[in-house]
Amino acid sequence: MDFDIVKAVGLTKLYGPTRALAGVDITLRAGTITSIEGPNGSGKSTLVNILSLIMRPSRGDVRYGELTAKDNAEEIRKRLGLLSHSAMLYPDLTGRENLTLFGSLYALDNIEKRIEDAIARFETKSFLDRPVRTYSRGQTQRIALSRALLHTPRLLLLDEPTTGLDEASQARFVSAVREEKARGAIIVLVTHDDALATSLADVRVRLERGRLAESVIEAKSA
Amino acid sequence: MSTLRTAWLIAKKDLRIESRSGEILITTCFFAVLIAVLTSLSFYIDDTNTRIMAPGVLWLSLAFSGVLAMSRSWAREREEGVMRALLLSPSSRAGIYLGKALGAFVFLCIVETLLLPLVALLFHIDLLPVIGRLVSLLLLGTFAFVAAGTLFSAMSVRTRARELMLSVVLFPLIAPALLAGVVATREVLGGGPMSETIAWMRILGAFDLAFLGAGLALFDSLLSE
Repeated sequence: MDFDIVKAVGLTKLYGPTRALAGVDITLRAGTITSIEGPNGSGKSTLVNILSLIMRPSRGDVRYGELTAKDNAEEIRKRLGLLSHSAMLYPDLTGRENLTLFGSLYALDNIEKRIEDAIARFETKSFLDRPVRTYSRGQTQRIALSRALLHTPRLLLLDEPTTGLDEASQARFVSAVREEKARGAIIVLVTHDDALATSLADVRVRLERGRLAESVIEAKSA
Repeated sequence: MSTLRTAWLIAKKDLRIESRSGEILITTCFFAVLIAVLTSLSFYIDDTNTRIMAPGVLWLSLAFSGVLAMSRSWAREREEGVMRALLLSPSSRAGIYLGKALGAFVFLCIVETLLLPLVALLFHIDLLPVIGRLVSLLLLGTFAFVAAGTLFSAMSVRTRARELMLSVVLFPLIAPALLAGVVATREVLGGGPMSETIAWMRILGAFDLAFLGAGLALFDSLLSE
């Protein structure tokens, strides 16, 4: 069951006495890129971790269409993709072995075909069979993007994905994200990069001290 | 995705990485050998005390080197944030736990193939008459150790003083199983009857089931924030 909307209501996350998120309400829609901006410690990564089911909120709830994390975690996870500033790949395995492993963990059909499609899309053939630890930052991010998109996720979470990338790699990333948007994915972009948010985001949201700073929310036509 | 399929994928991945780097096996074997040799040099060994001391040396070497192996195995999941990718996937949490435990079990079995003959050599023990019973005890004890160790190693992924935390939490927990292994090995080396060995195997088997059940039940909760 695919979903076209992700709706978080009253998300609060406490780390002991520290309140990382304080009653955040946010709605994410299909075919829309929502950027989440804000200073360090404002709760951006906590929000991504909750949306990706890696973390449970102390209070509040997220609904993925009709699905809830409490009752449908496995179904939701099949439809989540996350690209982070860290590669989330095993450095001692080759890019192909990493993609095969994660494709298998997602129980995907036609893994080889999907990998071949990813190779063609992100031009990774020349280095895919080398260990990931030998890759440049840009090459690593291309394999990480391949991993994040291998299962054609419905909700794509991008957590500071362009950190350390050169201009060519950033351009490749922007192009891939636009293709995912055109496909109808729900996309969340967490970034400090104002230019990137300006160029990609349809909805811009700012977090400050765990709260949505409503005065700086802006939107452009999707 | 089934639990067993996930476990197989995770264990296969660990063994593949290890077959390339050799990092865990080399350091763990070296550490186990070091403990065995140093303890053998630290005590005066004669015909009367050798069978009393050898079991302790064997199991302690295994326990200390096992902590090292599991700690390093989980460090690989922290590297590059790959644990986040595992948790993001729809794969069974119990499968991830079983896979990591299976990988650690294989690593420690390899360490034992080196350690057991070495301890026999250092403590002048004739292994041949008791090898079957000793191997059975070691397998059961090792499984209990990795079942508990994997659970707490996973917890240590989110802890700052992780190596210290793992040792502090794990050793008190596995002390009864470790003690059972030491006493059972002493009985075997002392020529105890088969019925007594089987009784100890049952105790170790009970520890295996208890730690495995706890691991399967608690793993997801320990990893969730």
